Amino acid sequence: MSTIIDIILSILLGGILLLVVLSANDITAETTYMLNGDLFVQQMLVSVVQIVEGEIRNMGYGIPDSLGATVVVAQDSAIAFLEDLGLDGVIDTVRYYVGPVSDLPSTQNDSDRFLYRQINGSPRSAIGVVTRFQLRYFSQGQADTLIPPIPSEDLVSIKIVEITLEVQNPYALYRHQSQVEPGERNALYSSSMWRQTRLASQNLRR
Amino acid sequence: MGGKAAVILVIGFGIVLGRIAFNMNDLETKAVDNVSYYLENTIAHNLALAGTNAALSMVYQDSTIRGTVTNPPQFTSGPFTGGQYTSTMTDVGGGLLRLRTVSSFKSLNDTVDVTFTAPGVLPFSIYAWFTNVEGDIWWITKDTVWGRVHSNDTINVNGSPVYWKKVTTAKKFNPKPGYGTNHAIFKDGYETGVHPITIPTDFTYLINASTSGGRRYTSEIWITLSAGTAANNDGQVYVRNTETGPIVDSVSLSDPLFNGAILGNQRVHVKGTLDGKLSIASLQDIYVEDNILYEKNPLYYPSDDMLGLIGQTNVVVTDNWNNNHDCEIDAAVFAASGSFGAEHYSTRPVSGQLRLIGSITQNIRGAVGTFSGSTILHGFSKRYRYDTRYDNPSVRPPFFPGTAPGTLQIAGWWESFRLPRF
Repeated sequence: MSTIIDIILSILLGGILLLVVLSANDITAETTYMLNGDLFVQQMLVSVVQIVEGEIRNMGYGIPDSLGATVVVAQDSAIAFLEDLGLDGVIDTVRYYVGPVSDLPSTQNDSDRFLYRQINGSPRSAIGVVTRFQLRYFSQGQADTLIPPIPSEDLVSIKIVEITLEVQNPYALYRHQSQVEPGERNALYSSSMWRQTRLASQNLRR
Repeated sequence: MGGKAAVILVIGFGIVLGRIAFNMNDLETKAVDNVSYYLENTIAHNLALAGTNAALSMVYQDSTIRGTVTNPPQFTSGPFTGGQYTSTMTDVGGGLLRLRTVSSFKSLNDTVDVTFTAPGVLPFSIYAWFTNVEGDIWWITKDTVWGRVHSNDTINVNGSPVYWKKVTTAKKFNPKPGYGTNHAIFKDGYETGVHPITIPTDFTYLINASTSGGRRYTSEIWITLSAGTAANNDGQVYVRNTETGPIVDSVSLSDPLFNGAILGNQRVHVKGTLDGKLSIASLQDIYVEDNILYEKNPLYYPSDDMLGLIGQTNVVVTDNWNNNHDCEIDAAVFAASGSFGAEHYSTRPVSGQLRLIGSITQNIRGAVGTFSGSTILHGFSKRYRYDTRYDNPSVRPPFFPGTAPGTLQIAGWWESFRLPRF
């Protein structure tokens, strides 16, 4: 009799332990997924930011005053500027712009797109995947906000650029339909945003 | 037996769950580490920038510094705690100097390079408008300057003047740009607190030029410029001792032995049309008696005509009949210790427009008329246009004064940046 009771109790305890393990496994898997997603998003954001921020800080380097405006294209989501990239006396045109969402049809995220970098006329290269790349332009002291499209004669007034970057995980965490508010996407994407509000190249102010 | 199994079970669960916890912790740490890495990068970069700015202020005080400019001890408080920087100034050849600041913060280093053009003489004609003292005169709406502006004084702004090129002041703007009445539009930016630029009052080099290849006159003279024929650079200069007296000297601007400098010890009166390159200087005042024009107006035609009007004291638009019906001056004007202004500006009749194509350098900002609101009461309304040929520092009228050596100009600013860790 006591053996039967032992077996029943063992099965009961074993079952509880199994349930705990399975539950822990679920939670662990979900948490790991989210943490991995966050890490991925942050690494991608920092990578993109390091390139964009570093290069835009140096825009206008090696460009003589006589050439006029250093920023040659100033749009909401695209910028092109002159810089001696190779420190070799040769003036390069550097262009950053976002591609269409159709460039990334295979990801679950319907808002992500490549951020492209192009030097002179060479083939473009994707330096990251972003969901938002927004630019604003200011004259010195932010006295004026220059609204794109900026006339070519006013490009020389650009002294400060504000850059907003957002990166989202290409893979989603789906929510139950009942949790989705009107106008929201039914998927959740871990997201990270970076904004440089006063990115001023000293070369534009010399 | 059952007790041993339970212990093994517990230990096994402990190991598995511990491993899971470790992995999750590691992920969290990595996520924080990633942001922390960016922060440390930013601090290292800001430290290099701070060092650069500190070194720049020292270099502007003493532009002869070479080698280590500043190397303060490691920071022991504040956001840069544990950080350090070193700034060095090096002559890199090609007429360039380089200020390099290297910062170190934790295991990270960052570099900022500022390149300067070596000290040299820049002509004052690179400025459309240069003043040592602005006085209580205000820049207002409809004032437009097409070239560089510099003042060693506070620049007063009331309204929306437009500056197409960079504006620099050794002091400040009153009020600050974008505040109060200052709605100025700076198309090419501005800089306050720059090193003052001294206007030279020593005319020895001009005296030497006038006596070795130029012309020097000891008495008061009246100069009439003549454009000559339609050919280029065949202008003539006629010199009189009185306004209507006989010509006592003439100079051909095409004469290869003439170096382009004419200087009078006393007042020099000028009018006419120039074809060639010439500087007219006075150890007292220059008086503009009538229009002074170029044969070819540089605003509309390719022109190599250039005139410098250089007064050791003032350059004055004479109060006479000719000038009281508009006056045009095509010249780079320089008034070393006085002003460029109109004679009897507060009592002369309404004189129409004073048009100037060139540049103006003056010690004290002069007046050309008086106004009540937008109505001219006496004197001129101004129409000054910068002669953009002078944007190029190597282009100037003969012997036109330049800034004293020692004024460094930033030619480039480069900041290192880190490539991503993939």
